[in-house]
Amino acid sequence: MPSPHCPNCKKPVAPRKENPAFPFCSARCRTLDLGRWLGEEYRMPVRQAEEEEDERPGHAPGRDDFGET
Amino acid sequence: MNPTTSPKDAAAPATPAPDYGAESIQKLEGIEAVRKRPGMYIGDTMTYGLHKLVYEVVDNSVDEALAGHCTDIEVRIQVDGSLSVQDNGRGIPVGPHSQFPEKDTLEVVLTELHAGAKFGGGGYKVSGGLHGVGVTCVNFLSEWFRVRVQRNGKVYEQSYRQGVPESKVQETGTTDRRGTLVWFKPDPTVMEDVSFNFDTLSQRLRELAFLNAGLRIHVVDDRTGKSHEFKFDGGIVSFVEYLNKTKAAIHDKPIHITTERDGVVLELAMQWNDGYDERIFTFANNINTHEGGSHLSGLKAALTRTINSYAEKSGAWKDLKETPTGEDAREGLAAVISVKLPNPQFEGQTKTKLGNSEIKGLVEQMVNEQMGSFLEESPNVAKKIVAKIGDAARARIAARKARETVRRKGVLEGGGLPGKLADCQSRDPSESELYIVEGDSAGGSAKQGRDRRNQAILPLRGKILNVEKARFEKMLTSAEIVTLITALGTGIGKEDYQPDKARYHRIILMTDADVDGSHIRTLLLTFFYRQMPELLERGYLYIAQPPLYKVTRQKKEMYVKDQGALDDYLLTQATEHSRVTTPGGELGGSDLKALLNKVQTYQDRLGRLERRRDPRVLDALVQAARVDADTLLDEAKLTAEMEKMRAYMQARYPDAIPRLEMQVLADPEHQRKKLHVRTDVNGGMKESVLDFGFLTSPDYRELVGLRDTFAQLGKVPYTLHLENGDVTCFSVQELLEAVRRDAQRGLNIQRYKGLGEMNPEQLWDTTMNPSTRTLLQVRVEDAVDTDEIFSLLMGEAVEPRREFIERNALDVQNLDI
Repeated sequence: MPSPHCPNCKKPVAPRKENPAFPFCSARCRTLDLGRWLGEEYRMPVRQAEEEEDERPGHAPGRDDFGET
Repeated sequence: MNPTTSPKDAAAPATPAPDYGAESIQKLEGIEAVRKRPGMYIGDTMTYGLHKLVYEVVDNSVDEALAGHCTDIEVRIQVDGSLSVQDNGRGIPVGPHSQFPEKDTLEVVLTELHAGAKFGGGGYKVSGGLHGVGVTCVNFLSEWFRVRVQRNGKVYEQSYRQGVPESKVQETGTTDRRGTLVWFKPDPTVMEDVSFNFDTLSQRLRELAFLNAGLRIHVVDDRTGKSHEFKFDGGIVSFVEYLNKTKAAIHDKPIHITTERDGVVLELAMQWNDGYDERIFTFANNINTHEGGSHLSGLKAALTRTINSYAEKSGAWKDLKETPTGEDAREGLAAVISVKLPNPQFEGQTKTKLGNSEIKGLVEQMVNEQMGSFLEESPNVAKKIVAKIGDAARARIAARKARETVRRKGVLEGGGLPGKLADCQSRDPSESELYIVEGDSAGGSAKQGRDRRNQAILPLRGKILNVEKARFEKMLTSAEIVTLITALGTGIGKEDYQPDKARYHRIILMTDADVDGSHIRTLLLTFFYRQMPELLERGYLYIAQPPLYKVTRQKKEMYVKDQGALDDYLLTQATEHSRVTTPGGELGGSDLKALLNKVQTYQDRLGRLERRRDPRVLDALVQAARVDADTLLDEAKLTAEMEKMRAYMQARYPDAIPRLEMQVLADPEHQRKKLHVRTDVNGGMKESVLDFGFLTSPDYRELVGLRDTFAQLGKVPYTLHLENGDVTCFSVQELLEAVRRDAQRGLNIQRYKGLGEMNPEQLWDTTMNPSTRTLLQVRVEDAVDTDEIFSLLMGEAVEPRREFIERNALDVQNLDI
């Protein structure tokens, strides 16, 4: 399983089998991450004008389109 | 001198001498007291007490070392289960004793409780032994006990049985060495455990060697041949390094403090590692004070204070809303504190807690001063330590907040399920499904359309924030996250999270097929992956597949999942009532559909190759020419085929022609020729290279295979018979186009964007009905990708973000359930 770096501290992460805190390096980093979720710190950028998108001609996205621009 | 050679030369134990006199009765009273209640003297008669006997003897040797008279101690478990301790100290004094004229001093030491030199302050300045009861107790609790003293050029010996001397102290010879050998076998009639443990002994002896820099302690187990030699010139600094051996230290060298005040000597070594355990070993006069005591209290108080005041000055914790606690300060700390004081008082259950209250203030003062100046003088180390402690505090605060938030919200909801959740009737998680639905209106439809027996609905909206004038950001609110956790029933965080308690074994994310939807999905998937990975690993997580198109034909509505399904639907519709006549025969229905599917594949392949090569050139190559890798060896043949391509393109793609250039060139790398074709594309020129590499690629092979299939139809034109007339087609592509055009007649195709556009029945039919829906099961690998995308989105650079999203599809396993 890839993702070799802790999402919180970026340190290398031991594989899942020997690391109950996976994908974090430690329970501590998982806790800090949880704190960020509950602190509403994780935000996704939203495009500036979504309405224009509806009027744009073009292909209809299939499920492969993770996001369109 | 070596104890292993001693069993033979020591006098064999014999019955006690009968003439030992009246005072031996008194002494017997002492022996009886100890043998009746050994626990009062050595703690217990099990493993702890047994090894305590050894430490009592060794402590005497260490006291000699402390006083600067001993450099080597050997502890040996003998094959018969007895144990010997040999040192090279001054030797226990021998000769007449002022208070006990009838006894030798050596015998007084071994038979009188509280008779050691540790009393009255004369012999040793500091000492850790049990106030003189030590070696006497060992003697009283031994089946047999021997002592040999080498002192002043002479050798003295005496032996005991169950604490009773078998003779007076005897001078047995001369020597140029000095030291004391104590050799005893614990008495199984009073000790429940008489089997020494090598590892237990080694651990304590290692500690002693750390505490007494330079002292060599050799421990041998003759029963197994195991042995260790401990000698640490670095003393407790080596001890701390030993504690951090398997850890990553955050600063290179342990902090080392040695100081003395009011007759109390303090030595302290500390090093923080990147782990989270606190390991502080405390010693008072070499005794391991497992229960801590005043020296530990003083150290803790001083650490918290000095580090806090340093961090405050440096501003390293500006962002922290509360000051780190002592526990934060000690996270990842490995430390050894050793104090030496004149009159240690030991308290607590195992007498391993230092009681002297004045030591707290003294240690606190000494550490404050030394640590304060260390931090000032070593800003680099100080910075790392302070940063580490700040992290510890942040984590602690986050953990507490998480706990409080989740618990508090739980209480607000009356301890039950969230009000927004429309739960299912079933209480069996294995058949229960939770639909997490984006938006309240879709949530409403889903609630009405669901099978309430086993389908639960939880609407989530997320929240949009205007961060700058033209920039918006989307997030899940903490209330929504808590609602989600409560609905799932798993709890969250280190202490409360129990994946086994999940109330649903299918957790289905149902979001719109637009950017907003994909953002919410990414947020949710990342949350699950990071905070509830077990649910992912167990395969509980799914993504619903709402249809992308609504097709209306003669007032009949149809939902179509995606582009591929739409194409398939159109072809099926159109070929149902059409036929095509070719020189190779007549095709209709499913045969026609199969042919057209192949044409579609052909077109798709050309489209896929478009970036590198003009599809019109490729079409000409495949349809008009007959070229393979061998053709490239024959320039004349290649030129002829090239001309066929030119003619084909002139007839079919006149727009590519105006500046068409075709050339046969050398390809020395493959010892062949190759074709270069330049065509007009959107006002520019595009070069397509047809060389060995391309002609041997799977793509080319597939195109040629399809062409051969089409060739079986015979020469164009073909006639397509439709319901309202015939159409003549000059290529298979034209045939496909004509059929498609016909299929779309009378059809209204709408692209679906929002789940909310569907009414409850439609939502049920297309997305929620287990017999017709498609669910994508999320695998851990998908979530890893999602997390990467997520991390990137959380990053700073905006442009690379966008590019990444476009390239990375969420590739989830297709699973029809």
